[in-house]
Amino acid sequence: MLSTSCKKALTPYNPAGLTAEAVFTTPAGFETLVNAAYSYERWWYGKEEGYSMSEMGTDIWTSGSGDVFPDLNRYVNLQGSNSAVTLMWQQLYAGVNLCNAGIARIDGAGYSATQRNTRLAELQFLRAFYYWHIVETWGNVHFTTEESLGIVTTANRTPVEVFYAQIIKDLQFAVSNLPPTTSDYGRVTKYAAEAFLSRVYLTRGLNKESINAANDVIKNGGYTLLTNYADLWNMANMQNKEVIYAVNYSANLALDDAKDAILYPFGAARGGNNGHLEFIMKYDDQPGMLRDIANGRPFNRYMPTLFLLNLFNDADDARYDGSFKNVWIANSTSRPAGMNIGDTAVFVTKNTVPLATQATKVYRTYDRVKMYRTDGSALDNLHYPTLSKFLDPTRPDINQVASARDVFVIRLPEMYLNAAEAEQKLGNLDSAAYYVNIVRARAAKPGHTTQMRVTSAQMTLDFILDERAREFAGEQIRWFDLKRNNKLVDRIKADNPDAANNIQAFHLLRPIPQTQLDAVTNRDQFKQNPGYQ
Amino acid sequence: MTQDYKREIPANLRGWILKLSMLLLICSTLCPIELHATNIVKNKPSRQSTAKADLNITGTVKDAEGQTLPGVSVSLKGTTTGVTTDANGHYSLKVPDQGGVLVFSFIGYTTVEEVINGRSTINTVMKEESKALSEVVVIGYGTVKKRDLTGSVASIKGEEIGKVPAQNIMESLQGKIPGADITRNSGQTGSGVSITLRGNRSIGGTNSPLFIVDGAIYFGNIADLVPSDIASVDVLKDASSTAIYGSRGANGVIIITTKKGVAGKATIDVNSYYGISKASLYPKVATGLDAVTLRREAYRTAGKWASVADDPKIFNNAELADIAGDIYTNYQDLLLHRGNQEDHHIGLSSGSEKTKVYTALDYYREEGLFTMDNITRYSGRVNVDHTINSILKAGMQAQITYNNQNVRADPLNQANKISPLGAAFNPDGSIILYPNGGSSINPLADEQPGVFANNVTGNNTLATTYLELTPIKGLSIRSNFSVNFQNSRNGIYQGANTIARNGAVARSNFNMSTATNVLWENIISYHKEIGAHTFDLTGVSSYQNRLTEASGEQGDGQLLASQIYYGLQGATSGIVASSGYIKETLVSGAGRINYGYKGRYLLTLTGRSDGSSKLGDSHKWTFFPSAAAAWHVTEESFMKNVKQLDDLKLRVSYGVSGNDPYGSQNAYPIQSLLTNVPFSYGETSAPGYTFNPVVGNPDLSWEKSATLDIGVDFGLFNNRVSGTIDVYDTHTSDLLLPRILPLSTGHGSTLQNIGKTNNKGIEISLSTVNVKSKDWKWSSTLTFTANKEKITQLVTEGVNDIASGYFVGQPVGVFYDYQKIGIWQTSEAAQAAVYGQTPGTIKVMDQNGDGKIDAVNDRVILGNSKPKWSGGFDNTVKYKNWDLNVYVYARIGQMINANSLGFNNYQGTTGNAWAASLDYWTPENPTNAYPRPNSNGGLQYISTLTYTDGSFARIRDISLGYTIPKKFTGTFLKGLRVYANGKNLFTYTKLKDYDPERGGSENYPMTKIVLVGVNASF
Repeated sequence: MLSTSCKKALTPYNPAGLTAEAVFTTPAGFETLVNAAYSYERWWYGKEEGYSMSEMGTDIWTSGSGDVFPDLNRYVNLQGSNSAVTLMWQQLYAGVNLCNAGIARIDGAGYSATQRNTRLAELQFLRAFYYWHIVETWGNVHFTTEESLGIVTTANRTPVEVFYAQIIKDLQFAVSNLPPTTSDYGRVTKYAAEAFLSRVYLTRGLNKESINAANDVIKNGGYTLLTNYADLWNMANMQNKEVIYAVNYSANLALDDAKDAILYPFGAARGGNNGHLEFIMKYDDQPGMLRDIANGRPFNRYMPTLFLLNLFNDADDARYDGSFKNVWIANSTSRPAGMNIGDTAVFVTKNTVPLATQATKVYRTYDRVKMYRTDGSALDNLHYPTLSKFLDPTRPDINQVASARDVFVIRLPEMYLNAAEAEQKLGNLDSAAYYVNIVRARAAKPGHTTQMRVTSAQMTLDFILDERAREFAGEQIRWFDLKRNNKLVDRIKADNPDAANNIQAFHLLRPIPQTQLDAVTNRDQFKQNPGYQ
Repeated sequence: MTQDYKREIPANLRGWILKLSMLLLICSTLCPIELHATNIVKNKPSRQSTAKADLNITGTVKDAEGQTLPGVSVSLKGTTTGVTTDANGHYSLKVPDQGGVLVFSFIGYTTVEEVINGRSTINTVMKEESKALSEVVVIGYGTVKKRDLTGSVASIKGEEIGKVPAQNIMESLQGKIPGADITRNSGQTGSGVSITLRGNRSIGGTNSPLFIVDGAIYFGNIADLVPSDIASVDVLKDASSTAIYGSRGANGVIIITTKKGVAGKATIDVNSYYGISKASLYPKVATGLDAVTLRREAYRTAGKWASVADDPKIFNNAELADIAGDIYTNYQDLLLHRGNQEDHHIGLSSGSEKTKVYTALDYYREEGLFTMDNITRYSGRVNVDHTINSILKAGMQAQITYNNQNVRADPLNQANKISPLGAAFNPDGSIILYPNGGSSINPLADEQPGVFANNVTGNNTLATTYLELTPIKGLSIRSNFSVNFQNSRNGIYQGANTIARNGAVARSNFNMSTATNVLWENIISYHKEIGAHTFDLTGVSSYQNRLTEASGEQGDGQLLASQIYYGLQGATSGIVASSGYIKETLVSGAGRINYGYKGRYLLTLTGRSDGSSKLGDSHKWTFFPSAAAAWHVTEESFMKNVKQLDDLKLRVSYGVSGNDPYGSQNAYPIQSLLTNVPFSYGETSAPGYTFNPVVGNPDLSWEKSATLDIGVDFGLFNNRVSGTIDVYDTHTSDLLLPRILPLSTGHGSTLQNIGKTNNKGIEISLSTVNVKSKDWKWSSTLTFTANKEKITQLVTEGVNDIASGYFVGQPVGVFYDYQKIGIWQTSEAAQAAVYGQTPGTIKVMDQNGDGKIDAVNDRVILGNSKPKWSGGFDNTVKYKNWDLNVYVYARIGQMINANSLGFNNYQGTTGNAWAASLDYWTPENPTNAYPRPNSNGGLQYISTLTYTDGSFARIRDISLGYTIPKKFTGTFLKGLRVYANGKNLFTYTKLKDYDPERGGSENYPMTKIVLVGVNASF
């Protein structure tokens, strides 16, 4: 009797703790797994680490004064100790593992057949989505389709082809089994999966397949281009007809992903969409200017390269003004003589303004000469045209880092430009021009459609990449666009003088986190990517 | 097989002990009369057989110096007849036996026996016993005379603790226990101390010793125990002493015993003090022109500033006006005030032979250096011991404490960052929320009326009741039942205009928790002497259950600031609720055998078996054995002639004790759990659950420390010199380390019994009476501790765990970074360029000389946070009625990472202050100290600037007291002493403006205190 009561006393009782066996075996419980499987997207999209690994280190951006990852931006001593690389590796694989677990456990969830297939398709899409980021970023690294059970201390090296075979298989299943629309904004749909499949096909050189997928989305997905490019970035217009797939953030910050001892102990240091912080030049030290919600909190992490600014013919192309903020309006009670609230306080321009002209203005001018050296390298990395796409005047307070802005992962123009790129590679320059012109027609300022029109003769790969820069600058895709076309090294050497001397061929793969290398017990098999220490 | 064996035996043992103790308890309550009767019968014959004529005996008892001794117990040997001497040392006793023997006994004095031989006046002289040897030392589940001790135990008496006032018992023990490293955590009011004994054995978990208060495990804040209530603190260090506490003994055990009532006339002790405190050593930030110059330099470096004419390019209009008007603010001066602390204690001791009571009340109040940083503590204690009959005793020790603390969010981080330009206040006295129209909030923001509250209230009750049965000679059966109940409430309100919210909507939190610790222990001890052989047997059964329940609510947007953290149902957004449950149970059986032969040869064997709800089925039970032997050399006949040597004892012990390094924080380490993820589709909440990155491990067991301890205790020259030296070697294995799993598994880490550490050290304690004359007495105690701690094996076999900072062969807490060797000078421009640097930037050592600096090859171990040695030197000088105590404490050889050396923003951008008088590089000032500011940023290796030698020696305490002579105090007031005390008044350190005991943080500076007090006795 004593030993029975003793045994009972020594049995752990933990009513506050949940186990997978208890939760993932009912439909309601399994829903929480699927929800959590989406949540890993938030680590990459809208976060500083994600920007530094997907937009930076390319031809179109250089370090602002506040850049915390110059090693990713300018390839200065990039190593496996980099915390962004480590965090993204960790979260992407955690996402994969949850998807693997869900795919393996879904038959025990008690779903109806239809619901099972939908949720399974979602999980397979997410696994493909995460694996695509992994394989493109790090190459032939660890791959498995099984849940990690118990204590696993090894990792494998799997050829890139194996990754892609699974990615394509998962995406094809998703396209076949997902509904065309959803009432849960943020869930993946049939056409979102197909749009992503178009990108994957393009990456693998499956050009015809990429075109077919893109065309299906264009024709049947029900998406349309907005008339006005700038409207895309209106906070009130986030769920618009041009967005094929977005990572959702909520205005209720308690539903976002900030670390919180109670709500989300393993959350992000800065929750929500942080894109609004990263690109803003230092304006609040300027005469007449005060930091406010509308102008944003200036982290000045990233500065456009002169090359990027020069890509825009802003006389015809509405996307320059739709993407960049160049004028700051006085808002401070403390202002230079002659400047009123509402007057221009700061004017930033990619053109040159004669010093004599600048001297006549009450406002301060930053022109090309002040911002860039003659070789295009950054001279003043505190003041520059500010990417305005992600600014969020609806944040509740000045210093709030979490924005409710959804992150557009795939917009309809990508389908046109994917198709254009694939057609170009197949030698169908007329078709390529056809698709590019659809995108450029929308981008044209009113009455400038003709000037924006391009011909098939202009359809070089470089032109299409330039077009993607104009259309998607800042949208967490540039690094992959350049890598896909093996243009990363050439373009940085040619167009980004701040990084030109550092970039090397091995940088096409990122370093594997040092913690991973230290933790594996099969160190002989699992080693650092070449070129890194 | 062996595991089965381990599991079975202790369960049986425990069952046996439980049954036996229950049986005896029942027996004792049912048949006390019979048992009592036998006792009477035993006395009867002696009375009858020796009764002759009654005799009145009177006399005086004096000590060796001729002073009369009050309170000496005088009794007729073999009877219960007895009296105690009065205030003048007189006694008068009627005895029925002229041929009997009078026994004079008094604590601290050698017992004297006088044959009556018909005398009616018997005066006697009692000699002080060799104090060190007769002292009773409290060990686990019992006591032992120091002379019979086989383990390493440091014992501090209450007088020593009470000598200098302190807010925390442990703080007053700093430097006084060899082997203990005690540091105060911060200068915040009510801040605790960290204490480790003999280094850190555990890497990932706690190294804090186990606290036992009056026999009960104590989970509360040590500060809740009132120093004036303490009778003794005994610190168990070696495995032989701690193994009786099994899985919780490895970090050492600190046993605190509170005062008991004394039979006789009631005494009332009143202790009061009041003191003021100020920041001890704290770095200043640059003010005025210094800061302006720095920013100019930062922009000059970047080619954006050449002369004052360029000021408008780098300062905004408000700042320009400040510079012109010489308007600067030193926020530190506005934030740091004088603090104060006071304590008032009244202790009442009274009792009869049967019932003894100690009652005490205490009030403690401390105001910190910041406004809104204060604590008030009320506590009360009642200790009752009641003898029911000759075989049955019962009693209770109970303390209740109520704390009320206001916690200020440390504003210094903000104060040290904000630009000193501009005014902090409007002309009407209100604060300027964002000085200079900048974006940094005023560090004084939280001091605006009604915007900030962070209040913690807590109750801590510890009550132990016991029933003790002594049915036959030498046998004691005791049952202890203790409850340590703690509850706390933390309410936080942060208005929009506070440092924490910085403009965001107001937030309120309301958190409550309760912890109930129940401990039921039955202890059987038996003492038997057979000729020259002495046996002491102890058996223990123990059941411990700890349950913690907590709830928390959070909400944003309270309608009125005056609601603070109440009425959270009115919060408009961000509403969060949580509740938690943690329970752990430990069932144990333990036993000990002490054997002595003629007091010369001593042997102790102990064993304990612990069963825990935290461990998986295959490792539920763990057994912890130990053995110790001692040789009392001076008891040998051949030592009789060595006159200078009063005492010499050699000790050796070996044993294994355990550590549960995660304490109550992680009661379920064997379980793989899920963790919540907030999520939404659109604006619709869609909560998620994913795998907790920490994976459960069902194969866990305790950390085990095996310690070999060799010690010597000695007394020389009539015990004018006495001391203890111990050397030890502790090997800790099965370390519970978070094993970082390959992140590619999707997991983060798991706990695993892997890894080893080793601690070797020497501890010396030396007490001397340097001067002893009629008017003068000077005594000193020197303690010295040197511990060498190192990791001997890690999870990451073969490689160091750099991410966690663990290196084989090094202690925990190393500083691993690039090594700064100076600043690149103008003449070295070409060489600097090789490393991508320019003159004025930080020059770090290229350790492998490959012409580039990288994280793998060029970071080295710069030092560690563990001292090479620490020690204390305590001096007490008494001259007539004056007493002077000077206590020096030193902690030498540790490195600290001083944040304050790094709070410079080398970009010189708006709103960032610098350390005052910073010696930074400019072309005109080619220093090697600090790099050149550069508004373009990009400065590398800034972290290398903050590592510095944290060695210090300080006069921890200096106090001067005067005892008012008896002739002035009269009969009502028995004693009166007034004193003044200073703490941390003098510190010797290489850091000219930082208190290294703070460990590097810039928050809550350490304090120095001056106080005056009175001890009165009625």
